[in-house]
This record gives sequence, C-alpha cells and structure tokens, in this order.
Amino acid sequence: MTTTAPRNGATDPVTVEVVRNTLAAIADEMALDLQQGSYNMMIYEVRDFCCALIDKRGRLLAQNVGGVSHFVADLGVVITDALERFGEDGFRPGDGYLMNHQRVAGQHLNNMVTYTPVIIDGELFGFAMTRAHWSDVGGMSTGFGARGAGVDAWLEGLQIDQLKLIDEGVYDEKALKIIADNIRFPDAALGDMRAQFAACRAAEQRLTELVRRYGVPEVQAAIEEVFDSTEARCRTVVAAMADGEYHAHSVMDHDFADLDVPVDIDVTVTVSGSDMTIDLTRCSEQRKGSINARTLAGAYVAYKALTTPMEPVNEGSFRALNVEINEGNFMMAKFPAPMASWSVALPTVVDTVITALADAQPELIPAAHFGTLGGSFAFFGQDPASGPFVAQGIEGGGWGGRPGEDGASASVSVCQGDVRNSPVEALELRFPVRVEKRALREDSGGAGKHRGGLGQLTEIRNLVEGSWRLSMAGRHICPPWGLWGGDTALPGGHALQRPGGDFEPVNGRVNAPADSVARIFTGGGGGWGSPLERPVSQVADDVRRGYVSAQTATDVYGVVLDESGAPDEAASARRRDELAAVSSSAVSSASASSAGAAAAASPAGASSAGASSAGAEGAGR
Amino acid sequence: MAIAISTDIGGTFTDLVAYDLDTGEIHQAKDYTDPADLSSGIGRCIDKSGLPLGEAPEFTHGSTVAINTAIERTGARTALLVTRGMRDVYEIGRSNRPEAYNLLFRKPVPLVSRELIFEVDERLSARGEVVRPLDEQSVRDAVAAAVNAGATAIAVGTLHSYANPAHEERIGDIVKEVAPQLFLTLSHRILREYREYERISTAAMNSYIGPRVSGYLDELQNVLKTRSFEGRTLIMQSNGGVMIPDIAREEPVMMMESGPVGGVVAAGSLAAEYGIAHAVAFDMGGTTAKAALLRDGAPDIAQGYYVGGFASGIPVRVPVVDVVEVGAGGGSIAHLDVAGALRIGPQSAGGRPGPVCYGWGGTKPTVTDANAVLGRLNPAHFLGGEMGLDVDAAEAAFDAEVGTSLGLSAEHAALAVINIAVNMMGLAVRSVSVERGVDPRDCALIAFGGAGPLHACAVAREVKIPRVIIPMLPGHFSALGMLLADIRHELVRTIYATADGVDADMLTAVAREMSDEVRGMLTTELIEERDQAVELFCDLRYRGQEFTLRTPCTADELRSTDDLEKVRKRFDDLHEIRFGHSSPASTVEIVNLRVVGIGRRERIRPKIGAQSGEVEVTTRRVVSGVGSHASGKDWNIYQREQLPVGYRVTGPAVIEEYASTLVIDEGDVAVIGPDGAIDITIDITGGFDKTGGKA
Repeated sequence: MTTTAPRNGATDPVTVEVVRNTLAAIADEMALDLQQGSYNMMIYEVRDFCCALIDKRGRLLAQNVGGVSHFVADLGVVITDALERFGEDGFRPGDGYLMNHQRVAGQHLNNMVTYTPVIIDGELFGFAMTRAHWSDVGGMSTGFGARGAGVDAWLEGLQIDQLKLIDEGVYDEKALKIIADNIRFPDAALGDMRAQFAACRAAEQRLTELVRRYGVPEVQAAIEEVFDSTEARCRTVVAAMADGEYHAHSVMDHDFADLDVPVDIDVTVTVSGSDMTIDLTRCSEQRKGSINARTLAGAYVAYKALTTPMEPVNEGSFRALNVEINEGNFMMAKFPAPMASWSVALPTVVDTVITALADAQPELIPAAHFGTLGGSFAFFGQDPASGPFVAQGIEGGGWGGRPGEDGASASVSVCQGDVRNSPVEALELRFPVRVEKRALREDSGGAGKHRGGLGQLTEIRNLVEGSWRLSMAGRHICPPWGLWGGDTALPGGHALQRPGGDFEPVNGRVNAPADSVARIFTGGGGGWGSPLERPVSQVADDVRRGYVSAQTATDVYGVVLDESGAPDEAASARRRDELAAVSSSAVSSASASSAGAAAAASPAGASSAGASSAGAEGAGR
Repeated sequence: MAIAISTDIGGTFTDLVAYDLDTGEIHQAKDYTDPADLSSGIGRCIDKSGLPLGEAPEFTHGSTVAINTAIERTGARTALLVTRGMRDVYEIGRSNRPEAYNLLFRKPVPLVSRELIFEVDERLSARGEVVRPLDEQSVRDAVAAAVNAGATAIAVGTLHSYANPAHEERIGDIVKEVAPQLFLTLSHRILREYREYERISTAAMNSYIGPRVSGYLDELQNVLKTRSFEGRTLIMQSNGGVMIPDIAREEPVMMMESGPVGGVVAAGSLAAEYGIAHAVAFDMGGTTAKAALLRDGAPDIAQGYYVGGFASGIPVRVPVVDVVEVGAGGGSIAHLDVAGALRIGPQSAGGRPGPVCYGWGGTKPTVTDANAVLGRLNPAHFLGGEMGLDVDAAEAAFDAEVGTSLGLSAEHAALAVINIAVNMMGLAVRSVSVERGVDPRDCALIAFGGAGPLHACAVAREVKIPRVIIPMLPGHFSALGMLLADIRHELVRTIYATADGVDADMLTAVAREMSDEVRGMLTTELIEERDQAVELFCDLRYRGQEFTLRTPCTADELRSTDDLEKVRKRFDDLHEIRFGHSSPASTVEIVNLRVVGIGRRERIRPKIGAQSGEVEVTTRRVVSGVGSHASGKDWNIYQREQLPVGYRVTGPAVIEEYASTLVIDEGDVAVIGPDGAIDITIDITGGFDKTGGKA
C-alpha cells in the first residue's frame, strides 16, 4: 500500500475545488436566469446587474462573471447593515428584501437590490442577492435617473430602505402597490423584480444542496481556503512590483451642478511587499451635483485588473488591498447627497490608479481609455401610436494603445464589462427613432507607436417629439492621456440638431421636436509610445482604412503619402526628423523628471494640451 | 450490397463507418488526416475498407473544413455592402468586453477589413417600408471598387432586410450581373431575423468560408466519382441534420459546428428507441467534455454561437445543437496554481505531446494519467493493445508536479484530480439539465467518446442521474450518428407583433410561404413527400422582455388570435419551467416564426457482434475512494465483446473494449441490453462520499 492520508489540518483539496467551482457556477446561473427573464434592456442587453452569494457576516462568497464590473464586491455592505438592523435571527425562510437606499447602497436609485436569506436546518448560512438597473424609479427623469443642478435624493426617485417585501413567501401587496403607483413603467420594473427574486430562490436551492452534501463546517472551512488562496494569488502579483509610492492625477470637467469647478481625482498607490494601499483621500470632497457615491469600485476594479483579471471574484480578492478614503469624499458621500450620476467618474478613477502604476507594471498598463461610461443616450416621451416609451443605449469609446499593439476601438469602459450597445434594428423596431449613422470617429484615437482606439459617432433622428437625455461627465479639461510619449485622444460629448438648425453641444435633458437629430460621440484612447516610432506602413494602412487622416499622418506621425496612398519613404524620413527635433526641445524638461514620474506626469501633462482641443471639439467632428 | 457510409474528419484521424442495410453489419476504417489535403484521407479510408462504393446508395460526410477556414483565417478576401451610414456597424460590433477586468482584452477581429466595406444608398424602416429607394449606381460603384480591391467573395447586409428583402435581392442581382465570379451571400437568405451586427457577421462568415468550402466539396465529389460512387452525398450540419452538397455550397456556414453533433444525434436516436423522455448526451474526448440535453430524442437547439469562444469570438446566428463544453478532457493538465491550490486545465496536453503515460514526450500529469495511475486503464491493452501505457512515468509526474507539494501520494493526487474533473463535468451536465428545468432523477446519461465511459457513472452520481447507457461503438459514435441524422433545414422570419393583435392571415400566409420553401428544399434533395415533415415554432416573450422562448405550434393554431391563445398558454408553461415564474396576464409578443423541415432517412439498426458466450474475468488493482478512505482493491475486469445479452456486471468493475473503457463503481449494476448497449443502474440513494464516488 503506497497511499498516505492527506496532510493534517488542511481541508481536503477536492472539497476546496468543488466549493470554489460550484459557488461561482451558482452566481453565473443566477445571472443567466435574471438576464433572460428580465423586462428592460438595461438588464438583458446592457447587462447592468450583478448576482452574488454573501455569507452571514456580509462577506462575498461568489459573484457572477461578466456584467458590470463597477458592481464588484459591493453587496456585502447591504447585508452588514441588514444584520445590524434585524440581527442574525431576524430572517425566516421565504423572506425577500428590497433595497436601494443611498444611505448604505450609495448608488443611483435605479440600482435595486433584492436579497433572500439562505437558511439551512434552521440556521442562517448566508444570502442570495441581485442588484439590477430598473428602467424607472420615479423622480424627475427616467432611463438613467435624474441629473443636474439642485437635485436631491427625493427628486431622484423612490427610496426603499431594507424593505421586507416578501414575508415567508407572501408578497406585501400594499408595498407593491405603493411601488407600482410611483414609478413610470411598473410592469417592466415588477417583472424585473420577479426575475430578480426568482434568481435568488434558485441560488438558495443550489447553495443548500451544496452545504447539505458536504456539511456546514466543511463548506465553511473550504470557503476560508478559497479566500486564502485568492488572496495569495493577488499578493504574488503585488509582491513582484517594486516597492514605492506611485502617484497620478486627473480631473472630470464638472459634477453636473457647478459646471466650472472640475472634480479632482488624485491617487497615491503605495506598494510595500505584497501589500497595496490605494489612497483616494485627496480626491474632491462631496459635491453639489449628482456625481457623488458611496463606493470603493474605483480602487477595486483597478486592483482586480492588476492582480487576477481572469479569476472569479470573492472576498479574498480584496483582502490584501487597503483603500484609504474619507467620509465626505465625493466617492464616500453622506446621505442625502445627490448620487444619480454615481458611477460616471469611476472609469477615470480606475484609469488614474492604473496609470500611477505604469512604471511598476510597464508590460501590462495601457494608455488611458476614453474614461466615461460611454456615449449614453435616452430618448423618452409619448408615441402617439403606442404610448409611453424610453429608448436607451450606450455607445463604446476607444481604449488606449498598449504594450505591443493598438488599443481597441468602440468598446465599453473598464467599468462596464459585458455591457452591449443597442442594435439599430432593435431600437427602430421598438421606438420612434431612426439611427442614421453609427461610425468610428476618424483621428479620435491618440497617436502613438501603438495607436489609441477610435471613439464612435452615432446620429439618431427622433421621429416624434420627446426628451433627449444626453449627458456625459466631461473629459475635455483632461482628455484621455497617452503613455510613454503617446498623444492624447479626443474626448466625447453630445450635440443636438433641431429641424433646420445646426448641431449644438448639449449636456443634460433637452426637449426636442420631431425630426431632431441627436449626435453622440465618444472619446478615443490615448497613444502608447511616440507616434514617430510607428512603422510607416502601419500609418499608411490606417489612412487607407480611414482610422487616421492623411493630414494627421503627416503632421503627427511624420508619414508622407503619395497620391495612391503609398508612403513616400524618403519624404517621411525627413518629416520624422523635423518632428523629432521640435518635440525633443519641447519635452526635454518632462523627460528629465525620472522614469518614475513619467507615468504620473502623463495625466497632468495631458491636461494642458487637452484644454486647447476642448474648444475646437464643439459638436464633435 | 446496399451500404450507407459515413466519414468524419477529425484533427488527427479520418474515421469511416459503414452500415450494411441488408445484414445490419457495421464496418470501420481509420486513416490519418492530411491537413493540406483533407479529402485524401477519405479516399484512403474507402480504399482500406475495401467497400464497393459503386453500390452504396448514400455517403454522409462531416468535415472541419468550414470551422478550420474561419479559425485559421484562411478564407476569401471578402467585401461587404451595407446601408449608408452603417459602414462601421460590423467593426464596432456590440462593444462589450466580457473579460471585464482584462486590460489586454481583444475584441473580435472582423473577417472583412474596413477598406472592403462599402455603403450603398438605400434605407428601409423597421416595418420594411422604403424610406430611401435603392440607388443602383451606388451598388455598381461599390461592387466595382470591391473587385478592384481584390475581393473574391462578397456579403450584403442592409438594415431591416429581414422585414423586406427587396433591396438585398436587387443588390444581389446587380452583383451577379457585374461580377458573377464573386461568391455572394445575402444576409436575409441566411438569417431573416433582426439585429444587424449578428446578421451581417453571419453573412460575412458565409462568404468568407464559401469559396474554400465549395472547392473542398468539389474535391470530395471527385474522390467519390473516381471510385464510381453514384448515390446521394449528404453533408453534416451544425443543427444535427444533413443536407446535399448543392445547399452546402450556398450556405457553408451551416456546416461549421458539425463536429460534436454526430454523437449527439446518435444518442438522440438511442434515447428515442428506448423511450427516454429526458436524456443527457455526454461526450468526453481529449480536450473537453461536452453535454447536450435530449428531449424525446431531439437535441436542444441554440440559435447561434461564437466562433472562437464567447469573449472574443465571431457571432454566427444559425441553429446549432446546443452543446455545453467544459475544459476537462483526458488531456487536461493537473497543476498547482501560484497559491498552491489543485486545479485542472484549461491547458491541455492535446494530441501531442499528449498525456505522460503515452510516452510521446508529455511531462505534465493529465486526467488520462490519473486514470492510468489508479489502474482504471489497462496499461497493456490500451487501444486493443496497439499502445502501451507508461504508468511509472505518470506516477512520477504526479509526484513531481502535484503530490509532493500537497503532501499526497501519487495515487491520492490522481484520485483528487479525477474527483475534481468529475465535479467540473457534473457542472456541465447540470447546466443542460437542472438549469433547463429538467429533474436529473428522471434523466438518463448516454455516454460516449474515448473517455466518456470512464467517468460516466461518477458524473451521473454527482448530478443524481440514476441511469447510464453506454452504446455500442462509443469511440466511433460521431461517425455512426451521421448515418442516423435526418435531412434538416430551419428558416426564421422576424414578425414582431403582439399575440392578441397580430394579423393572423399574414402569419398564416408567412408560415405557408416558409413551409413551401422548406418543402421545396427537401424535394430538391429527393425526399419523397411521405418522408417530409414540417414543424412550426413561434419565438415568444412577454412584452418588454428581450429573450424569447422557442414555443412549438401548429399551422392550425396560427389561424386566428383565438387559436393563438393555445400557443400563448404553452409559452406561459415553458416560462414557468425554465425560469420559475410566469405572467399569464401580461401581453405576449411574437418575435419570430420558425419553420423546420425534416426529411426522414431510413433508420439503421446495427447488428450486435456475435458473443462467444465464454466470459473471461480477470482482476486488476484499482484505487478508489476519497482521502484517507482511498485504497487499492482487486476489481473484476471484463472484455465487452465477450458479454452476452442479459449479462450482469456488479460494480466495482471495469469493462474494456477497443478505444474505450467503462468504469462501474461500487453499488452500480450493469446489464447488457438486447441491442448490445450497456444499461447501468446508478446507486444515487445511498450515502455519498464527498465527491460523488462511493467511499
């Protein structure tokens, strides 16, 4: 007999692996159920939702893969709050809770949380939870929620604070009626809610099966090992980075209320051994406008991308990370601060954290991406033919050039994962609109050895009168920055053309007569490395394919093309020498400030260059 | 001598299976696949088999040529014509990044480069009304530019062509007139369904692979012709049916995923014969394990998939047998991750260097090596003795790569690997059963593929499936399935109306038009009317939802909105089963009408080889159990070809045959059925150990 017993004191490796795989599979199954059973495109098409299993201490056991990444590991606080209020004994099998209150949840009110307790043989084990974007929660706007000056939590919509909607399997009909009477599309929202609770119920069953089979202590021990091993994987990555303090800074144009006061995003990342601290305390304080939130997502998404991007998320994913953030920071705002635009700054926050570490992880970090939540649009009103409607969509932007290759064009932000755009044909089948153009924006990507991806330009004609909600947290002051000598990209925005008029910039909700055309344009990604190092043939290909204009090829890349579009090698070499002479005198001071500061200098350096292009941006050509 | 022949081209080998329609006898042949000359392997197999091809009425063929062309990017230089303003819809795609945290994520790389995408002046509304008439000159200019740029294939995908194909058809006429040499695809011909990106992507794929697939089919017919074949050639499709080469030439995209489908079809035929309402087809090979649900023998059909994987793959929206895959195959590598946890895959040792025990240079322990270490595989009799297994090398690999760090012996490490693999495969089986509203306790698992029978009993127990069936020839099941597949065509048409407000006359007219079209295709394929069947489905959803459920209906039920009520009720029931909730008071929308045309083929009934009646039982030490309970015991070993009908084998035991090995756990009982299949009752009631094996 050559067999020996497994090492003592450790959980059976098979049980650990089974628990790891099964918990993740349950969360994914919830997501599939919710997505396919849902009633609004923000869930089924945009995938603006998450599903998770939480233990009875509020720790994340598993979260679905895909969906919106800025929901990462953010459901635990809801449970911690519920446990404080109701106690561990406060839950019965069959109960179901609804929650969107910003006091704890800290997001826009459209993001409705449902959860049900998982009680096994009379003992609370944990919770099955979903968070999903309802198309309406009342308030002064619909689709993506209220935005702009003078908005508070009550104008934003219906607030639901840890409401037990289902009592041991029985819905509270009065509460349901109040909800239904105070939102614009009750059929859709309550349909979504049913799908959310159905996903929770399915997960309860699956989790119970798992725990019954292996036993509570065994599963709990396995969960601890899953957390430990996840943490260890993250630590391995951080330990390979050079110890030190890394810094980067960027700004959003405004908070939607004080339009001339930028929102500061100032990040210091400290690496010490396998520990990482992300310090956000020097970011803007809580603001008058709706850009506020209570979220750690900016730090979490960045850390996840840096450490274990392809692994499922659990509590262990963030245990080796310390996030410093003060109460009253715009990302840790106090109720009743307006939060309708809670997530708009997050892609830029993530980019700023990542950029700070460009020196520590040069083989991974790309130049900045477009940094907003895409080109979002909503058109709503009354169709004389079919009644009230809200058409919505999110257009992607460009990603930064990266080590080894160009950035991707027309992709969602780092916070949006599996979010998809709305098909032209789906929009036109359902809503009184006609999409006239959906195109890549020439020259919108930052020039570089590895070019930034292109933003998009979409034009939609409304066939009936209605309201457009066209709002974007601007990145004109600090457009998407380049890295290692790459150029900044063009930022995005919105414009509207009323019948007979020209396109005029808009930011917010506007009424539009029939036959107006909304233009949604998104930013590109920054360039990586000097454009003068981009192979001439690649620049010629870019021009032939219409990604880069011939003008930019000559002015920025130093590539001269003949009439057939073929590069003139000799003329290009001369042109590149000229451009190199000009830029070496201009940037000598910047490059002198040590390699370590180069990355951190990029966003700040970009801000001055960006300001001049902001004015020219106008209606987005 | 009437013989039906099928050939299946795989990456390494080309398989031939032939069935004698008179005697029921089965013939097999195998030869290597030459990637540069795919059809040559077929010729060699035919010659090797010595079968008189001239007398065969039918030759069925499955090939990877379509999928390989797409994955290797060796297709035609393809141009694309789209509606003005929509040039970039194909490159933009859906803009999603399924690998949300991956900073280096790559989005799908289009098959058509931007300089080959041209806009034409035309526009339809969602109802199919002409908003802007087609400017034919803009089409002529675009086609000329495409030809100038060297295109040899072209796809046309204009907005709302699903609602009104007139513009696409006219564009097609102009292409045929101006540049008849181009391989042409009109998007509505392949897929008459809304969502422009997916439709254009599917059309572009069809054109991209078209010229190469056509050339291949020519070669194939040449190979057959030079061997005097005069019968009917049939090509395997992704949807589980077959089609004639003339249709395959026009719609090559329909044959892309034919590889894993043959076995599922064969399993379906077996389930139907046994009267099993719900069965899971379970196929385990070298790199993955696959599971598919069979309802009354019919596989679930998905309406599309991604070529090259979901995250960065290219969407192809055509019906495909819905197969769920997990990366746990015989070649999947067991390893410790950076945190010291034991993981399996996704890396695979593949065909080369393969598992350590094959002795072809592999050094990383695999699932197959685990089976060898535990004594589950016969080291002296692998592939009928054609190949020996180096068990010592496999043990050493487990020690070096896994066991020592975990403080486990090689055997315990191997056992842990098997148990984790069984759990992973169980999750795949669950996802096609439990997650689709099917109770596994009412299911049977039909297992095949080289490694399927090795793990089938444990996987069944893991998911609580009480019955496992191992068919005859589990290692050649895919080629066998091709002989069993019916001719099958699916058409779709977007309707978009509410169930209570739809124009029923229009619906009936469209259903009739589609039925006539599909019957026309079957008639072209020489299917007699009595062998033709047409099935109708409505894709339904509650108003506001996006996902639809494919709901069966009859032509009579489309006659009036009152009749449609029955279909709607069926939909409520399906929704309840699938999602656990339904909404009978809500408005229901009809989104698509689907018509499936089936041309039935003669059923074949393979004859069971004659048994000697003498059963020779040997023993071998096999390690089983879990953790400290694991131990080696002498198990009974049987040879399948010796076992007569009605013979009972009680687990633990191993039944060996050429190209496959069946492991029967303790408590499970196997009986040889009248058709030669092994029918196993799984003990799912007794105490489980932690992994699904018996302690």
